Amino acid sequence: MSNTQELLSKFNSIATNPSKQKDAYLAAGEKIVLTAPVYTPEEIIHSMGLIPMGAWGGTLPLQKSREYFPAFICSIAQSILELGMNDAFKGASAIVIPPLCDCLRGLGQNWKYAVPTIPFIPMSYPQNRANEVGIAFCKAGYERVISDLEKATGARFDDTELAKSIQIYNEHNVVMREVDKVLATHPEISAAQRSSIFKSAFFIEKGEHTVLVKELLDVLKHISSADAKKIPVMTSGILCDAPDLLEIFDRVGLQIVADDVAAESRQYRTDAPGTTPALDALAEKFSRMDNCSVLFDADKKRADLIVETAKQRGARGVVIVLTKFCPPEEFDYVIIKKACNAAKLPHVMIEVDRQMTNYEQARTALETFRDVLQD
Amino acid sequence: MTEQIKKAPRPPDPNSGKYKLDYIANKVIKDAFEAKARGEKVGWCSSAFPKEIIETLGIPVVYPESHAVVVAARGGGQRMCEVAEAEGYSNDICAYARIAIAYATKVKDTPEQNIPLPDFLLCCSNICNTMINWYENLAKELNIPLIMLDIPINPDNEISDAQFAYVKGQLLAAIKQLEELTGKKWSDERFKEVLKMNKRVCQAFLEVTSLGKHVPSPYSGFELFNLMGPMMFARQKAETLDAIETCLKEYKENLAKGVSTFKAEEKYRIISEGIACWPWLRVTYNGLKNRGINMVTTIYAVAPGFLLYDDFDGMIRASCRVPMAINLQTSRDDRVKLIKGSNVDGMLVHVNRSCKVWSGFLYEMCRQVAEECNIPVAYFDGDQADPRVFSEAQYETRVQGLAEIMESRKGDVKA
Repeated sequence: MSNTQELLSKFNSIATNPSKQKDAYLAAGEKIVLTAPVYTPEEIIHSMGLIPMGAWGGTLPLQKSREYFPAFICSIAQSILELGMNDAFKGASAIVIPPLCDCLRGLGQNWKYAVPTIPFIPMSYPQNRANEVGIAFCKAGYERVISDLEKATGARFDDTELAKSIQIYNEHNVVMREVDKVLATHPEISAAQRSSIFKSAFFIEKGEHTVLVKELLDVLKHISSADAKKIPVMTSGILCDAPDLLEIFDRVGLQIVADDVAAESRQYRTDAPGTTPALDALAEKFSRMDNCSVLFDADKKRADLIVETAKQRGARGVVIVLTKFCPPEEFDYVIIKKACNAAKLPHVMIEVDRQMTNYEQARTALETFRDVLQD
Repeated sequence: MTEQIKKAPRPPDPNSGKYKLDYIANKVIKDAFEAKARGEKVGWCSSAFPKEIIETLGIPVVYPESHAVVVAARGGGQRMCEVAEAEGYSNDICAYARIAIAYATKVKDTPEQNIPLPDFLLCCSNICNTMINWYENLAKELNIPLIMLDIPINPDNEISDAQFAYVKGQLLAAIKQLEELTGKKWSDERFKEVLKMNKRVCQAFLEVTSLGKHVPSPYSGFELFNLMGPMMFARQKAETLDAIETCLKEYKENLAKGVSTFKAEEKYRIISEGIACWPWLRVTYNGLKNRGINMVTTIYAVAPGFLLYDDFDGMIRASCRVPMAINLQTSRDDRVKLIKGSNVDGMLVHVNRSCKVWSGFLYEMCRQVAEECNIPVAYFDGDQADPRVFSEAQYETRVQGLAEIMESRKGDVKA
């Protein structure tokens, strides 16, 4: 059995070296399909014997992508395009981009011309998703993805294989939900280490990731939790993976005991039913998804979920990590803020983007927030 | 000191197209206020929701986008945006949305224009995803029902059977929801009448927009903005047909006489790209006019004329084909067609901070359009309703640059 530090190092290595992962898969003769934020039918890609690999952008200067995007488009979309134009994804067979927000709409259309070597596959999801016509449209979107994947990779789709992949993904969802809970009782695990456990899932085959997470869960069972000297908080946002930001959480003594982050727990909230045909089950899964800024919900139940989760996990406050130029999150922020106020749950908002190199403002905000929570 | 003597404004001619257009714009709001006073439920509706549904059911609605335009054009944009920002809405969010949320949740009374507050909301996502977030927040903050028609961007050149079925299913459900909400009943006969009128209005409007191809144009393209409002929210009404036909007659007369409402010599003709910069409309107009540049066409103003169909299915297809619901290639081809049909010398692009969907693939589309049509392109930064984003100096410089390139292409540059 690996010890905790070895496992955490492994997660960190995967999370911080996606290119190495990609090259290793390609060297082993695997085909890679990139998956853009926020949701893509990874199960389909997986079932066709392809490796889905998350493309959520990175911290790098934006130069070539400026030819395509004005500065006020979110840096996630911009940096994905920049990475593509810099050949960072060289060898990938295709990219699946869902137009779930206005910035992602632009990314898909620009990709065709900016990175013509990697085919763009659109995945149109329905916003009115929990009804018959929405489910049918979602299924048609999946069929389109399958057809495009077959053209781009030569791989073939089989519904029986999809059923197997759905099982693998559902099991992965279960262990990710479990590790999220268990980590809340382990303040000795740093914010960066927690982030790596989630982030690594984008760069490794899900079955392999499940094995690693299970190993971690196993070793964590045998470790008594350190004295909880950190202040428990919940995070919310699209991303919370910048090393400099995560370091501040630890430095100021805040422990992330739960999250509502799109790149983290939001990915694992909903399982596909175990029914057949498996493609229908996958469409059914999307119809059940909710509590996310890019999924239509006039009741904005997400805000209530944040408050409930924070209370259940004993979080004393919520840190809203707002990605700049992300309207879905910016609209939700006001509703979340009001829900937290109504529940007398302290909250702080810090703005981030993929180009930030100086987090001193965030540090000050988080230090002050810690002081508020300590009082 | 010389005392300036201002000319008294000429009283509006009640038989003019402009008067009639203004009358329609005001009447839609007046009717909604009266309906509200009678106890009817009044809706707020996104501009690209199929109006034929609303007109057939006889439901009073008003348009927050249109209201935001009036507020912004009359100088209230910054004030209203700041109200929303004080509530926590980022200044990065669409300024139409900020103005509408500020009005509905806080201000409720503006000197620029008032509209009745909504009892329900009708959202259509064929413009942008931001519309969804905007209407969600209104629904949540006001605790009122929201009927949502989702029309995702079409990645392909043709409308798929799946998209058609999805939209049709939602529309049928929306009609039922509206019947239950308002107590009004759907009538196939009334729908046919509405479609007939819609088609006649669209045809007249397209004829107006096609007159821009004449050199010189019988109008300043900025006047097309006056027609846009009634075309967006009242194109199924007989008075709109009368107003558009009056405009058409006036412009045809101009053409016959060789005169124009463009108040300068038309030295250059351009297409403008993007939503109008409403808070700085006069400045943007004058910057062009002073250089003899007439904006003769723009997809923004022309597009409502494309909403022309004979039946329910045609209405669905048109709703899936509005400018913001289509891919880059189709968007490019629409512009190329307009440019080639309008004797255009250049393109002026508004990089609109509010509109991420329009700005998302704007640069690449304009590059392709410029190449295909062999015209120069100039860009300026601005916003559809927040005046703080625009710089007059930058605008002047960019327009001057465009004028110089257009001039040089005419071979008239003096050494």
